[in-house]
Amino acid sequence: MRRLPSLLALLLLSLRGLASPYTPQSDEEMLEQLPRRLAAVPRQGLALPQALGLAQVALQRARQEGDPRELGRAQALLAPWWHLPAPPPAVRLLRASLLQTQHRFDAALQDLDALLASASTPLALRAQAELTRAALLQLRGRWPEARSACTRLAGLSYAALGAAVQMHGRVCLAELDSLQGRNESAAAALAQLARYPQAPSAWILLLRAELAERRGLAEAEALYRQALQAEPSIYTRAALADWLLARRRWAEAAALVLAHQSNQAELMRLPDALLLRLAIAWRAGGNDARASEAAAQLQERFEAAALRGDGSAHARERARYALDVRPDAGAALQQAIANWALQREPADAWLLWRAAQLPAAPKPLAAQARQAFEQFRRESGMQDARWSAAS
Amino acid sequence: MKRALMLSLLLLCAGAAQAHKASDAYLILEADATGLSERVDIALRDLDRELQLDADENGQLSWGELRARAGEIDQLARQGLGMTLTDADGGRCAPQALAPLQIETRSDGRYAVLQRRWQCRAPAQDLTLSYRLFAASDPTHRGVLSLRGPAGAAQTLVLAPDGHASPLRLGAAHSLLSVLRDGAHHIWIGLDHILFLLALLLPAVLVREGNHWRPATRLRPVLLDVLGVVSAFTLAHSITLALAAFEILSPPSRWVESLIAASVLVAAMNNLWPRLLHGRWKLTFAFGLVHGFGFASALRELGLQREALAGPLLMFNLGVELGQLAVVAGFMGLVWGLRRRPGYPRWVLGGGSLLIALLALVWLLERVFDLQLLGR
Repeated sequence: MRRLPSLLALLLLSLRGLASPYTPQSDEEMLEQLPRRLAAVPRQGLALPQALGLAQVALQRARQEGDPRELGRAQALLAPWWHLPAPPPAVRLLRASLLQTQHRFDAALQDLDALLASASTPLALRAQAELTRAALLQLRGRWPEARSACTRLAGLSYAALGAAVQMHGRVCLAELDSLQGRNESAAAALAQLARYPQAPSAWILLLRAELAERRGLAEAEALYRQALQAEPSIYTRAALADWLLARRRWAEAAALVLAHQSNQAELMRLPDALLLRLAIAWRAGGNDARASEAAAQLQERFEAAALRGDGSAHARERARYALDVRPDAGAALQQAIANWALQREPADAWLLWRAAQLPAAPKPLAAQARQAFEQFRRESGMQDARWSAAS
Repeated sequence: MKRALMLSLLLLCAGAAQAHKASDAYLILEADATGLSERVDIALRDLDRELQLDADENGQLSWGELRARAGEIDQLARQGLGMTLTDADGGRCAPQALAPLQIETRSDGRYAVLQRRWQCRAPAQDLTLSYRLFAASDPTHRGVLSLRGPAGAAQTLVLAPDGHASPLRLGAAHSLLSVLRDGAHHIWIGLDHILFLLALLLPAVLVREGNHWRPATRLRPVLLDVLGVVSAFTLAHSITLALAAFEILSPPSRWVESLIAASVLVAAMNNLWPRLLHGRWKLTFAFGLVHGFGFASALRELGLQREALAGPLLMFNLGVELGQLAVVAGFMGLVWGLRRRPGYPRWVLGGGSLLIALLALVWLLERVFDLQLLGR
């Protein structure tokens, strides 16, 4: 009886391939590809402006490389101010952004609200707080509040900061329109805004691509490609990969994902969002051996994240995984519903809808998902070719 | 200004990109009869950030570059992971030299594997960990600890690099059977529980008529009476044992222990000056609730984990019941045989109850006023 648990544990260990550390054969063997090194932080810490500058670089890198270690580094740089109830406005703004990326939405919103409520927040930081807050509210599906924020940005409150801020406000309003089913007018507005030199062009390209995809227009692909060129982000790469996957262009999708990194043999450098698309492309394209390798790595990452208590941050990926990589109707529904409680973007609605359609789905969960989806569709007015035609 | 504004725009669509594995180190500790094996896996990327291992700065870390710095890596790990280990006899266990450095491939990159043994004279028992690896360079870093005691019971803990000392108990890994024995043992050594039961059982073989006791003639009503009392006690203490074990209720132990002493006193006094003859089970139930909290503190001393409490709790309670049943059966056999002796009411019931009452009074004073009147 005593041996059983240890046998089980051993089995688990060997399944995860962890029972075998090894000694490399030669000193020349390459073990790890390292990110470009940031300046070392002196023991006594940095002054606020330097710390802020480095933290912003780290945050930007987190977005481009998909490595959350950069977020931890940004937090470490801001350590002297991080736990203050009311840190300097620039720190507070960055803290809100970091909290948001860690999916601590309420805490992020609290910081942003405080920044906007305080008269001592400089106007430029206030504008950024407004914009970050609008994005967060939009992500959470709180559109009326997001709309008021965007309206303020597009109006006269921030006119002193120049046309760029108003432009951001107008793009943000057009995006909200596009989410609420006003597809044609939103597309026209975005196309018009794209012509202004001060306009945030990469963002507009991405929004136009996503809207074109929801409208079922083939021009989405060219727009995605332009957006990726303008700003090579993981989000855009994953979105373009999804477009290709939806058109059964498996090999192209896999190549696009792998182009993210120089060493194409190793999967462990790929961020989750891209590894997920790769697993789908390989599986559907019949490359079973590599597909199961990618799937096993994803599974291991999900488990590691759950172990450290970050499980919910992966709900979107886990839902997709259970839909397209290792089909499991129950898990797909569970994760899609859990994700829906956190995030309400078109991609999340699409996942919810797909999970609810699964024939093998547990009935009460499927009904719950369908009801949530129908309510959202009714209230939002969102139109999406991926599901409009079918339902 | 525009650049700064662009920065927060970057965040607009950052949601999906951020779900990726953050920095974790893995601690695998396995205790055995003569010590403990320690394995720490640290991501090479984390090590490079701290130690700048990539000597030629080509963005690639080679085995040669890593191997040359094994000493510093070990030093960093030891500073980040404070660990003291004592064995079952209270002796300090000594860390042995670091085993040759190795590599592990995990889903998010390669890790350095540091392994060493801790040598003890007896089975390893108490472990104190204080974790602060990468506290200064990445506060979101976590240590994922998998800890296995000598009997194979594993637990997983997530450590934040906050430097707090976490005391962990490895020894006496509890098989369910051992918990059962602990429960029975607790009844046997818990004189207050036994005396409470005895005080309740002493008059069970007698019947009160006016101011006199006479021996019971039929066994059946006696057994029913005993059954009622014992069931009430069992039910009551099971309720509070569970409540306390799951930390739903945890009254201060000094009050619990004092009330237990009071319960013994009251039960014994009720034999000397009978107030409650029929329905003694009600009294038993009320005081049984208190005794349950007493059992819970004994269960707590076993240091069980809350997540895996249900099985041990059941077994512990079962052990308590078995121990109690043995006491009741033996004692009832004895007093049933003695009940017709002319001296029973006066000397056994009266004298016994008086002795119990005196002892209980001493306990009560000791526990209420935190004194030590009797030697241990």
